[in-house]
Amino acid sequence: MSTELSWDPYNTELTKNPYPTYKRLREEAPLYYNEEHDFYAVSHFADIESTLRDKELFSSRHGDILEFIKAKSVMPDSVFIHQDPPKHTAYRALMQRIITPKRMAAVEADIRKLCARSLDPLVGGDRFDFITNLGAEMPMRAVSMLLGIPEKDQEAIRQSVDDRIRTEAGKPLDIEHNKKLQDEALSGFDEYIAWREKNPSDDMMTELLQAEFKDPTGETRRLTRDEITNIVNVIAGAGNETTNRLIGWMGKTLSEHPDQRRDVAKNLALVPQTVEEVLRFEPPGPFLAREVMRDIELHGKKVPKGAVMMLLVAAGNRDERRFVNGDTFNIHREARPHMTFGQGIHVCIGAPLARLEGRVALEEILKRFPDWEVDLDHAVLSSTSSVRGWDSLPAWIGSKPKNATYSVPKAAEPAPAPAPAAAASAEVTLEGTWNVVVKGPTGPQPATLVLERSGDKITGAQTGQGSTSPIADFKKDGNAIYWCNHITKPMKMKVEFKGELSGNTITGKAKAGFMGSYPFTATKA
Amino acid sequence: MPKIHFIEHNGKEHVIDAEAGKTVMQAATENLVPGIIGDCGGACSCATCHCYVDPAWADKVDARNETEEIMLDGVMNTESNSRLSCQITVKAELDGLVVRMPASQF
Repeated sequence: MSTELSWDPYNTELTKNPYPTYKRLREEAPLYYNEEHDFYAVSHFADIESTLRDKELFSSRHGDILEFIKAKSVMPDSVFIHQDPPKHTAYRALMQRIITPKRMAAVEADIRKLCARSLDPLVGGDRFDFITNLGAEMPMRAVSMLLGIPEKDQEAIRQSVDDRIRTEAGKPLDIEHNKKLQDEALSGFDEYIAWREKNPSDDMMTELLQAEFKDPTGETRRLTRDEITNIVNVIAGAGNETTNRLIGWMGKTLSEHPDQRRDVAKNLALVPQTVEEVLRFEPPGPFLAREVMRDIELHGKKVPKGAVMMLLVAAGNRDERRFVNGDTFNIHREARPHMTFGQGIHVCIGAPLARLEGRVALEEILKRFPDWEVDLDHAVLSSTSSVRGWDSLPAWIGSKPKNATYSVPKAAEPAPAPAPAAAASAEVTLEGTWNVVVKGPTGPQPATLVLERSGDKITGAQTGQGSTSPIADFKKDGNAIYWCNHITKPMKMKVEFKGELSGNTITGKAKAGFMGSYPFTATKA
Repeated sequence: MPKIHFIEHNGKEHVIDAEAGKTVMQAATENLVPGIIGDCGGACSCATCHCYVDPAWADKVDARNETEEIMLDGVMNTESNSRLSCQITVKAELDGLVVRMPASQF
């Protein structure tokens, strides 16, 4: 009856419920080898623990993701998740002074407000999406708040980060593409950092700019701009995606265990242990990887130097050798630490924030919606090279209407462009005033573009957010229109507009530095 | 085996037979003493094994090193007798050691 045991991280069928396979791995192949992708994997809690503790034998010098290690990826020293000591130690020690339990606890009230802001508008309704309405909003706003990133730019950063670590379903991470996205995302951070340097505050960015540390060569100095960019990038990525997934898993797991959910709703003192149990049961980061630094033998099998060792955290978290009835969700179980934040010197530095956000989010959800039932027919599970969780997880709140049917509402369309002029043959003159609307992350942002012709050239100025700046590089090639606008508010940044002219309307995308691209429409006034 | 008295924030006491050579954090987590988490497993990288060493024992436990000082700097509700229990090695002279736990580790 037993089928061949195979664990393939790119198998999307397996992503849906990997736990029976994890159980078989623990029992039948505690040291598993995948020939197709050439990696080894351990699934016992004790093996994962000893691997993570032995930093000399199991290296992070090429990162902690399978594809990166295979590609022998090398990152700048400041990407400390991707380093061994002493490089790792220098930056981690610095960050340990900045990302502290004390700093995180101090923002609890702010995080509660962010949850309220996401949840209050839904009270009285009958549907709630754990991701769209909360997971995609609150953690991003919290990290941004800690970093001091102005709110209007936050959605774009999350999108850029999500894009970066997203893999196409069932495919390995494309490192080249990944790097391109990363470079693109990073291009505008410099501008933000420069702005923050002139506008210091009590946020983490200011502290990154001012802190002194002993670098890997032993020199005491401040971080360079590049180092700050890299560090912020790691923090922003780690802080958004994983907690977003935790919120989804809380929604799913507690929907499927209504008795335990009622226990917690009645007694919010149970929330911290509930969050821990969800973290154990459905870890947002289900696996990690390390490079094996010398030939070893494990469970009677040889593992050669240079091999990739995958550590199946999600399997170890249910290992019966450590957790009684590991495959059972039980918020009242014995309090044993799980492996979700990793262990050893690379243990998740943001764990205090994740736990705080998880606890506050669950409290605020339960206060408003003590009962829910997830609508898995309309939910979307996503697969990335390092994170597993819901992209969308709608739920019925309160009582689900009998025989409820539900069709997903269409995402709000950008404001429809006015119909192209009937007589499109008479081409619109470019000179004059255009009403530009950029569909930004926080809603439509209007601006006015005034174009003038001088000889062959089109010049002009664009007014938005109360400030006017000249445009540059206006080009028209057939119907393709391009111009760029250097704005100074809310920060110094280059915004590039690329669109198609049709009748008296230009539609296209506006690329706003590292914040990403947004649809825009420009209509001749 | 040296006995260690772990006192939870609510006053509940756990007396554990601790193995010499292991750390006070391990003595707690391996015996399911609530209140000590030890996420990093003893690498002095997570600050979730914070405890208060009873003043009577202050001179008998290993001294803090620089890394522990940095970590403790960021911890909530620290006192002059605050320690990370993963940085205290259990030894015969610590038989009877009393440590108290904070209200919360995070």
